Amino acid sequence: MSTALQTLVETSDLHTNFYTFEGVVRALNGVSIVVNRGETYGLVGESGCGKSVTVRSLMRIVQPPGRIDSGRIVLFLNERDRSRGIEILQRTETYMQSIRGSDISMIFQEPGAALNPVLSVLDQVGESYRLHRMEQMITETLAGLEGERTAMHRNSPRRAVRRLQAALLKAERRGLQRWAALVGRIDNELYLLEDRQDVEALARKESLNRGRDRARPRSGLASIARRVPLLRRYRRPINATIRRHVVELLRSLGIPNPENVVRRYPHELSGGMQQRIVIAIALACHPTLLIADEPTSNLDVTIQAQIVELIKDLKRTTISSVLFITHDLGLVAEVCDRVTVMYAGDVSETATVRELFRGPLHPYTAGLLASVPKVDQREELSMIPGAVPNLIRPPEGCRFHPRCPKRMEICEIQKPPTVEHSRGHWVACHLYPGRGNA
Amino acid sequence: MSLLAYIVRRLLLMVLVLIGVSLLVFTMMMLLPPGQRVAIYVTNDRVSPAMMDALIAKYGLNDPAPLQYFRWLRNLLHGEFGYSITASSPVLKGFARFLPVTLELVLYAAPLIILTGIFLGTLGAVRKDTAMDHVTRVLAIVGFSLPTFWLGLLLMMIFYGFLGIFPPGALSTDVRNIVFSDPTWHPYTHLVTIDAILNWRWQVFWDAFYRMILPTLNLVVINSALIMRLMRSSMLEALGQDYMMTARAKGADRKTLFRRHARRNAMLPVITISGITFAELMGSMVITETIFDRKGIGWWMAQAALQLDVAAIMFDVLFLGTIYVVVNLVVDLIYAYVDPRVRLS
Repeated sequence: MSTALQTLVETSDLHTNFYTFEGVVRALNGVSIVVNRGETYGLVGESGCGKSVTVRSLMRIVQPPGRIDSGRIVLFLNERDRSRGIEILQRTETYMQSIRGSDISMIFQEPGAALNPVLSVLDQVGESYRLHRMEQMITETLAGLEGERTAMHRNSPRRAVRRLQAALLKAERRGLQRWAALVGRIDNELYLLEDRQDVEALARKESLNRGRDRARPRSGLASIARRVPLLRRYRRPINATIRRHVVELLRSLGIPNPENVVRRYPHELSGGMQQRIVIAIALACHPTLLIADEPTSNLDVTIQAQIVELIKDLKRTTISSVLFITHDLGLVAEVCDRVTVMYAGDVSETATVRELFRGPLHPYTAGLLASVPKVDQREELSMIPGAVPNLIRPPEGCRFHPRCPKRMEICEIQKPPTVEHSRGHWVACHLYPGRGNA
Repeated sequence: MSLLAYIVRRLLLMVLVLIGVSLLVFTMMMLLPPGQRVAIYVTNDRVSPAMMDALIAKYGLNDPAPLQYFRWLRNLLHGEFGYSITASSPVLKGFARFLPVTLELVLYAAPLIILTGIFLGTLGAVRKDTAMDHVTRVLAIVGFSLPTFWLGLLLMMIFYGFLGIFPPGALSTDVRNIVFSDPTWHPYTHLVTIDAILNWRWQVFWDAFYRMILPTLNLVVINSALIMRLMRSSMLEALGQDYMMTARAKGADRKTLFRRHARRNAMLPVITISGITFAELMGSMVITETIFDRKGIGWWMAQAALQLDVAAIMFDVLFLGTIYVVVNLVVDLIYAYVDPRVRLS
C-alpha cells in the first residue's frame, strides 16, 4: 500500500473464527489493514461487522471460543530499524503482555463496564505503571528516599528504616533488570529465528518461547520481603510514587481535583469521567498506538464531544497513531485521516477520508453514506435493504451480494479481490476489475 | 464512626430477633402439658405425682401463657436456664462442657470448607471444560446431594468398620485419662488439640487430631459443595465481564487477571453463601457429632430432643439463633469491606 508513510502495524489476510455450539462463526474473512505512523485511522461498519474482532485480534486478546486461525500481523515498533517487524501471531503470551498497555493500548465502548467495580481509580490506573514501568518507579522512589535520608539526623532510627527500604527496593530492581536482560536475549534470538521454518529452528523457537513465558521478574530477597507482613511496608514509597504519577496523569487529562478522584471507585464517577479514567489506563505508558473501540457510543452528546476533543488533543501531543472504531460516519469525517469500511468480516474499501466521502466506490460505502441524514433533506432517508448476514453460514462470493443494488452473477461465486482503484484508494468489488490482485 | 453505629444498631436488632426466637421456642414449649414441662426443674428420676403437682404449682406452670413467658424471660436474663437431664448438670455448665468439643471441630472444618470450596471452584472456572473442571463439578454435585448421615455412616463403615482406622469418639481412653485427671495437664482453652500443643503433649495432640479427621472430612464434603458451585459460576461470570478485557488490554498476566481482577468480584456472592453455609454447618453438626460420638453441642441437642430435655433444647435454640445473627452481621461487614459499592449506614 502507501509507501510514503511508515507502517506501524499491518494485518494481512486475517481469519478469526468463533467456535460456538451453533457452528463456526467466521467473523473475519481475510482482513488486511495498514495503520501508519502518525495517522488517525478509522474502522467503520455496522455492528457485528468485525471491527472489534479485528482490533482484538491485533492485540491478541480474542476471548475463547474465538481463535485467530490464519493471517499475519506485523508490528513495527522500532522506528530506526524498519526491517525489525514483530510477528504478533508468532510471539509468546508473555511478550504480548509486555506490549499490551505499553506500546498498544485500548479504550472501550462502555466505560462503566470496562472498569473493575471493586478496585479504586488509583489501583486501576496505577496497575499500568506496575505492569510496565516498575523499574522506573523504583528508580524514582530510590532517589526520593536517598534525598530524605541525607536530610535526616545521622543516628535517627527512621534513617535505618529508609536504609532497609532502599536495600529491598534495589534488590527488587535488580530482579527486574535481570529479567529484562534475560527476556531481551531470548527476544533477540527469537527474532533471528523468526523467518526460518526448518524443523530445527521450530524446535528451538518453541523452547525459547517456553523459556520466555517462564521468565519472571525475580529477586529472592524482595520476593520474600513482599510476603512478610511487616517487611512488606518497604513498598509503601513505591505506592506513593505511583500515586504521584497517576495524579499527574489524571490532571493532564483535564480531570478536576485528581487527588480526590484517585481514591474514588468507578460507580462514584460520571460516565464521561469513567471514560477519562479508561483513557488514563490506556495512556499511562505512552503507547505508540491507541485503539479506541467506539469510545463515545454510550455517552451523552456533550460528553461525546469532550472525549473526541480529548482524543484529538492527545493525538497531537502524546500518541503517535490512533485506530478509531466507530459506526458514526460524521465522527470519522471529523477525526480520521484514512478509513476502512468493513462489512461482515470483509474489508470493502479503504481510502482517505476526503476521497471516501467524495467518491465512494463500493456499493456498501455508498449505501452507508446515503443513509446518513442531512439537514436539508426533504425526501425519505435511503437505506440498505436486508440485514447483516449470519456469519455461521455467510453468503458465498462477496458477502454483500444479497443486499447489493449492483449485484452481478460473479458476485455470488467469487470473492472480489482488493484492488487499488486510484492511488491510495483500495476497493474489493467486482465492479472494479483492477490491474491485479493485492 | 458510622460503622460503629451500624454495628450497634445491628446488635440491637439482634435482641429483637432473639426475642422472636424465644417466643417461638416458648410457644413450642407451651404445646407440652405442664406435667412434662416440669421436667426442667426435676433433678432426679424418683418424683411422686404429688411432688410433681407441688412443683407445677411452685413454678406456676399452670399460669396464663404471657405471665409464664415473662417469668421465663426474667429467668433467662438472670442466667437461670434450668437443669439439663442429658447433661446431668445445670444447662450453662453443660454448655460450657460441650461447647469446646464443637468449637474445635468448627475450627478445623469451617476454614477447610471455605478454602476448599473457593479453591476448587476457582480451579474449575479457570480450567473450564477440562478434566479438572468435570471432576470438581461431579464432586460438588455428589457432595451436595448426599445426606450428611448417610455419608457419615459410610465413612465410618469403610474406615472404621472395614479398615479399622479412624475410630469414633473424641479421645481414646488413655488420652481421656490425661485430659480429665492428669494434674499436670493445663486446660488453657479446653480445645484439646490446642491445649495439647500448649502443654507440649504430642501423644494427646495426635490422638485428638486423628479422631477429628473423619468428622471434618464428612463436614467438608457436604458443606463445601455449595461454595464450590457458586464460586465456579461467579468466577466464570466475572471472567466474562468487560473489565477483564480492560485488564488484558493493559497487559496483565494470568495471576493478576485471576487473583486481582476476577476473584475479588467473584468472591462477593460467595461471602454471603459462606455465612449461610456456616449456619448449615451447625445443623450438620447434630448428625456428625452423633455419628462420630463426639460429645459436643450437636450431640447434646440430639440427646435433648430424644429425651425431652426442654431446658437444653431451649437454650441451644437460642444459642443457634445468636450464632446465625452474629454470623450474618460479620458477613455483612466483610461484604461492605470487599465491595465498595455497598455502604453501611
